[in-house]
Parts: sequence; structure tokens; C-alpha cells
Amino acid sequence: MKVNPNFLKKVKKYGAFDISKCFNCGNCTAVCPLSAEDASFPRKMIRYAQVGAQKEIESSLDPWLCYYCGECSDTCPRQAYPGEFMMTLRRYLIAKYDITGISGFFYRFPWIQNILVAGIFAFSLGAFAVYKGDFQELAAKIELAFPVYVTLAIAAYVFTFYRKTILDKAKKILISFDFSNIKETLIHGLTQKNFSGCSDTDRTRWIAHLLVMSGYTLTLVISNLHLLEPLKKHYGISDFATFLVFYAAFAILAGGFIMMYRRAKKKAQSSSFSHSTDWLFVVMLFLIGFTTAVVHISNMILGPQDPRVEMLYKINIAVEVAWIIIIVPFTKWIHIFFRPMAVYLRNLKKEEAQGKLFSMPIPGLK
Amino acid sequence: MSEQITEKDHTINENYRQKPKVAVYVCHCGGNISDIIDVKKVAEELSKYPNVAISREYAFMCSSTGQDYIVEDIRNNGINRVVIAACSPALHELTFRGALSRAGLNPYLYEHVNIREQASWVHKNDKEGATLKAISLTKAGVEKILRQDPLNSIRVEAVRGVAIIGGGIAGMRSALSCADNGLDVSIMEKSGSLGGNLNRKGKVYPSGKEAFEIANELSKKVLSNPKIKVYLNSEISFIGGYVGNFQLNVKKSDGKFEKVKAGAIIMATGFSHYKPQKGEYGFGLADRVVTLPEFENLLENSGEKALEISGKKVSSVAFMHCVGSRQIDGIDAPGKNGKVNEYCSRICCGSIISSANRLKEKFPEISVFDIYTDMRTYGMEHEKYYKKASENDIIFFRRPLEERPKVEIGVEKVNIKTKDVLTMNEEMEIEADLLVLGTGMEPNDISDLVEYLKLPRSSDGFLQEVHPKLRPVEVANNGIFLAGTAQGPMDIKETLQAANTASVKAAALLSSPDIPLDPFVAVVDEDKCTGCGLCPKECSYEGALIMIEKDVKGKKKKVASVNPALCKGCGACAAVCEPRAINVAGWTLDQFDAMVEAIAKE
Repeated sequence: MKVNPNFLKKVKKYGAFDISKCFNCGNCTAVCPLSAEDASFPRKMIRYAQVGAQKEIESSLDPWLCYYCGECSDTCPRQAYPGEFMMTLRRYLIAKYDITGISGFFYRFPWIQNILVAGIFAFSLGAFAVYKGDFQELAAKIELAFPVYVTLAIAAYVFTFYRKTILDKAKKILISFDFSNIKETLIHGLTQKNFSGCSDTDRTRWIAHLLVMSGYTLTLVISNLHLLEPLKKHYGISDFATFLVFYAAFAILAGGFIMMYRRAKKKAQSSSFSHSTDWLFVVMLFLIGFTTAVVHISNMILGPQDPRVEMLYKINIAVEVAWIIIIVPFTKWIHIFFRPMAVYLRNLKKEEAQGKLFSMPIPGLK
Repeated sequence: MSEQITEKDHTINENYRQKPKVAVYVCHCGGNISDIIDVKKVAEELSKYPNVAISREYAFMCSSTGQDYIVEDIRNNGINRVVIAACSPALHELTFRGALSRAGLNPYLYEHVNIREQASWVHKNDKEGATLKAISLTKAGVEKILRQDPLNSIRVEAVRGVAIIGGGIAGMRSALSCADNGLDVSIMEKSGSLGGNLNRKGKVYPSGKEAFEIANELSKKVLSNPKIKVYLNSEISFIGGYVGNFQLNVKKSDGKFEKVKAGAIIMATGFSHYKPQKGEYGFGLADRVVTLPEFENLLENSGEKALEISGKKVSSVAFMHCVGSRQIDGIDAPGKNGKVNEYCSRICCGSIISSANRLKEKFPEISVFDIYTDMRTYGMEHEKYYKKASENDIIFFRRPLEERPKVEIGVEKVNIKTKDVLTMNEEMEIEADLLVLGTGMEPNDISDLVEYLKLPRSSDGFLQEVHPKLRPVEVANNGIFLAGTAQGPMDIKETLQAANTASVKAAALLSSPDIPLDPFVAVVDEDKCTGCGLCPKECSYEGALIMIEKDVKGKKKKVASVNPALCKGCGACAAVCEPRAINVAGWTLDQFDAMVEAIAKE
């Protein structure tokens, strides 16, 4: 393995300023609940970064299996904050797996991202304000464009992730049809069960995360399926849509509030080092939940014809536009997919070692 | 020579001239002895033995109560010889001699029998056998003490001066401390200036002070001290004499000889940097492979803008630990003495880290690699340097002890391949513009001095102390002390500590006009001596035993003569003397006969 002293400098642009202090004692590995005989968390990743083993890091699933319980940082005798280093690696990898390179740019220059989000929001709102046509129709079109855009972004990421972690090494397509693997992947994806693997389980963090994720997914479903038409329909308290909006709003607001509070108070290792992109992420999430709820409540009180409802609805859609264009494809949002994928691919690798795997050679790839 | 020897009788009680009355004390050693040996039975058996007047057993004879028994028995019960069956004499012989002295009895009229190491500890599974053995040994002790003469320690007149060999910091520090203690000091330095290995450019850890500044500060003080005489460019052609009366033949810078007298000698002969063999980690094959002292010089002389070697800018530096240290027979090539250096040089880890940090602080853009075996930054606060090195982005690699990194000299770079424990034992490939070899310490070649003084050396070739904890700066030869790296690898702080310790020991030795020595030396019964001349041939100590012409009872006679200050009491002379005319005091052949008889009787 060739040593590259410059690699760590690159990684440090994404955080982890203290990781050089690590002298490879292995205390972190000893306390990490993910460590196993063949899996040395998180020391292996730290060491690879120190010696500049770029390929090893970019093909590793380890960063995505870590749920940042922070015990490694608590026990580190040199205050190198290994947990934060794993977080930094996730940022680095998102930047690396992004074929456009924009994520990396945003991570290194977060203020540009802030300006762009604010700019897109302001531009959309301005455009909506001067729009003379039926805004409900326009909103329906915008919301239908979202899934196309997002799917393209996700597909690019997922493919790069798969290529870096599996394809480049195996030189063939590997797929696991194992039922238990698919089940485990789904459970992890939906419940973040790995949080409970942190031996000193931080329940608040897990609940907050679960609330936000479920609320957010629900919002996604509501808007993508265009379930809400606040400028056409008058919603009542007993409508099913009202229940969905209230749950989503409550989940995002409560979870988002807990997250922001913990980041501000630095409650745990995982919330002590906030990258400014982390702040943008939670603030935007919070705003989505908040504006959706406000639009819905005002619709219930004022009725769909009230111009104030239309104004609030335009703000709500403008926030979503900024979110979809900037946040979804170019921030840690994609970890929603990477985490369950990492579980799936880890199991897949195990199955491959046992030789019970579907594989498809790719012509020309040797 | 013998006129320098005086006898001083420090006992007042003359009762040993009366019929022998032996007291035997059997110590339990708090269970160490009594758990195995039936101490009551031992005491009882001994009480029946001829000439034994008192026989007791007690939990701790070395305690003040135990010692009081001895003192009272001597004072009140007319005891004039003592046998104590207890631990090893190395532990408490002096304690009990003190008790005898306090009671007014000659302290040498006591025999220490070791029934712990020689009976209870080694025969744990045979209690009965151990008890019987303890009884036999103690009986032999009684027989021995019955034939013991009241000895007196030998006292030797001493010159109140110290000769210090070596003018590095150890020598200079020793000289100043000795002078402070009122001793006359001579420093013999073979080079043209004081300071030794510190006469160089470059900073030293942990103070970060310039090396030559430390040397200059000390040498100024030394040169201006009226009690210190410095012989630069000097050579020592011979050393003779003994404790209190050493004589050194010094060849001075002008080629003339001078005889220097000294009561004690301090060996401050220092170390040399290990010089790698040609091809060892690429040394000597390219100017891009240098030793640590060479690198220090390079760093000190470099400009502020860039570190250059042979006119080329250096952008990456690798440091290699344990070069010439912790070598393994069969893996590393042996040095000039035919041996590999198995020892750890101790200072290199700290020195390398300190140099690497200074390199990083001067040129932060240079990539620094550090290939170590075990990081031994052992000193107080040294761990801080190690941590600092990590913060300075120095990348560490740990090679297994028996692995030797492979160094290839490329056109522009040095290519180093090593197995790395820290990266899950993977084979790492490091490219650097400059490779610095962290060379260790080797003892200076002082084989002539070792020969003159018969100094003991460790297997590593450094001078060896009597005991690392109990007598850390003394050698087996009386009156010779060790200061600094002549004894083994040390850093500056440790060297100064050792130098101060050595000078305090020398000052204590020379604090009174004469020096007491153990009386266990050869004595000649001139009536019995036939003058055959066999014994001096057996003697290993220069001048300790010679044949002289002497008036014995009015007749001129050739007899053997012992210099008690030089005699070590080995007994080689007694072994060849058929008429038993020469014996070691306290250990005569008659005593041995009686002991063997006592043991073999049953």
C-alpha cells in the first residue's frame, strides 16, 4: 500500500480536525459495539485515512454502519474524536459519490449553499407572486416534477455507491435475493434499528430521528402524490389528509426541535460538532414541516379562497423547491438510502464469501 | 605501601578471650522460615550443642526487639559469640554487626546462617528435610564462629582528590560537585576541548536549549574553578593503586608525563553515536540517507525558506528508529566487536520526535514519516512531544521488532517498504526525499582503562554497576564510580543526575582521612610460610600479594606479603599453600574443616 500524506488534508476539509492526534491505541475499537473479529471499528478507517488509503476508504461500508453513539470519542485518550471522524468520512463520501461534484463544493463552501438556498427560495417566491394563472395547477406540476428530479439524483448516487463498494472489486454484478437480508435491510431503513446497537442507547436521539424521518417521508408522500390541494379544497378536522399533515408536522417539528436543541446544547458526542450544512439541513426540515402545517391550519380556518392561504401556500412550495433542488441531492439527505444499502451490501458480501450469491459477469470488465 | 595501613580497634569488650559462650538465634522471618522449618526444634537441637549457652527463636530477629535480645544476652549473660540463623547475609549482616558493636562485642564475632534461601524457600515440599538441613547449617555456623578471630576493619589513608576521566557534561558536572565538596579534582580529557558530545550545533530536548550552550556554561565554571585542574589532549598510559591511593600516568598535550594521585576515580568516558554500516538502511549509498546527528546539523544550517540536501529541496522526510539498537543476532550484522547491540538506546525515540517536531515547526509543508518499533518516550513530559508530533501531522508506522524495513535508493527518492502493525500488518510503501536514521549510543572504546582497572563490563559493553538499585553508580572495584553514558544510554538529565550521585559517593568515601575496608583479606602466618612463592602466581590482583625479604624472629626470611587494600579475599592463594600459612581472615581453612565436619557428622 502506497502512503499518501496528502489524503488526510483533503478529508480534513470536511471536518475531523483532531484526527491526527490518533495514535492507534485501539480503545475506540474496544468500546465500539460494531467491532467484531473481522471488523475493526472505527480505527481501521482512521488508519486508512492517516496513511492515505483512499481506495480502501471509498470502497468501505463502515462509515454507513456507524450510528455515531459517540462512545469512541468519550474513551479516546487523545481527544481525537473518532466518532466525529466517521461523520466527516460520511460527508467526504457523499461528496465523492456525487458525480456532479457539487456536494463537495457545498461542504467546503457552506455559505454558498446557504446563499443558493435563500436565493432559490426568494426567486421561487417572487415568481409565484407575479404568477397570474391558477397556482394550485402550477403547484401540482411542480410537485410532479420533484419525483423525477429526486429519482435521477438518487439513482446516480446509488449506482456510484454500488460501483465503488462492490463493482470495482468484484468486477461483476452481485445481487442478494436472500429473504432475511432484504427483511433486515427494510427494518433498518424504516426504524434505524442500528441505533439500539449503541450499547449506551440514547433513546431520545433515536426517537427524534425516527419522528423526523417518518414525518419527512410522509410529507414526501403527501406532496409527491399531490394529496393536498389547499387552494381548492376546504379541509376539516376529521379528514384523513388532516391527520396525515398533523402527524407529519408534529413529527418533524417535535423531532426537529429536539435535534436543534441538542445541537445547540451539544448534548451528546453526535451533536457536539455541527457542520454548518447540518444546521441548514435541520432548519430546512423544520421549515417544511412548519409551513405545511401552517398552510393546512389556515385552510381549515380561513377556507381555500382566502388570499392569505394562497400566500402561505406559495411560501410553503418555495421552501420545498429550495429543499428539493439544493438539499436533497447535495447534502447528507442521501444517507437515508446509503445506510440501509450498507446493511444490504454488508450481508451481500458475507453471502458472497459463502458462495451463495447471484452474480452476473459484465462483458468487458476484467 | 603498608605504612598507609593503620589499625583501629573499635571494640572495648575483651570477653572473647574467655571460654567461648555462643548464643544461637533462629529467626521465623514472619513465616518465611517458620512455615516450613520447625524453628522450635532447631533452637532446641542447638541448645544441646557444645559451647552453646543460649538458643532462642523469634519472629523477626531484625526488629528492634530481636536485636535487643542479642544486646542483652551479650551484656548480661556473658555471651561472646553469636550465630543467627535467618535470611541472606546480604540483607541483614550489617544490621546484626551493629547490634554486636552496640553491646561492646567485636562485630565480626558473629556468623550469619542463611536458612531461608538455602532451606525453607528451596525445600517447601520437604518440611522435615528442611528442618534437618537448617540444624546442620546452624551447627556448622557454631563451629565456624568458635574458630573466629576478632577482626578489625582495615583502614587506608586516602588522598583527598578525585580523578575524573572524560570531560563531557558528566565529567564536568562531577568535577564541579566534587570541588563543591572540597575535593581537589583533575579532569583528563582526550580531545582538545571540554563538552564532549554536546559540542555541536542543534537543540536538545526537553529544554530546547542549544547543545553547545549547555556545554559552554559548564565548561566556563569548570575552567574558572581553582580546585579543578583540566588536562586537555591528554592520554592515560597507566592506572595503578587502590582505593584512597590511585595513581594515574597522564601524557599531557606537550608530550610530557605527569603522575596524578587521587583517592577516587570517576569514569565519565561517555558514548559514541552508532555509525551504520555501509548499506544498512541505504546508509553510505546516497547522500539522501543521513544519521540523526547529521540531520540535526542539516536542519540547523538550513535557510528559513527550504530544507535542502545537495542543493535539492526536500519535501518529505522519513525517520527510522532503532538503528544500531535492539538488534537481533542472526538478523542484523554484528559490529566491530563481533556482537549486535541488543540494548535499547533509550534516548533516540525522544530525540527523533523532538527533531521531527522542530522540522515540522520550521517547514510545515514537509511531510514527515516516523517508522518506530516501540515508542519509548519514557521521560517525564516526553509523552507531550509524542502527542505534539501527532498534532503536527507526522505519520507513524510501527514495524514488528524482527522486521527490517527495506530501503531502496531511487533516482530522486528513497523508497522504504515496511510491514506496519498499525495498518493491520499490511506492507507499506513510503517515498521520501530524505531518510534519517535514528542512531543509538555505543560505549566509547576504553579497553585500555578497563584493562588497567579490571573494570566489570555488561554484555552490552558498557561499564557495569554493582547493583542497579542498591549501588547504582559503584563498580565492584572500591573507589571507582560511574558517571553518565559510560554506564549505559542516558539522556542529559539522567547523565547529570548520575554525575552528581557519583561525586557525592566519592566525597562521602573521602570525607574522613582514612577509609574503612572489610577485613576479609589474606593474612600470612610468617612462621609457617616457607617462602616457596607459589601464591603470588595465583593472585589475580596486581600488587595484592608479593614475596618480600623480612626479619622474622631475628632471621632474614623470604615470606609472602599482602596489601590488604588491594586484596579482594578470593582465596586463590590459600588453595595452593600446603602448610596453610596464608588464609583469608574470617574464612580460614580450619574453619571450613570444622564446618564440613559438623555437617558430615550425622
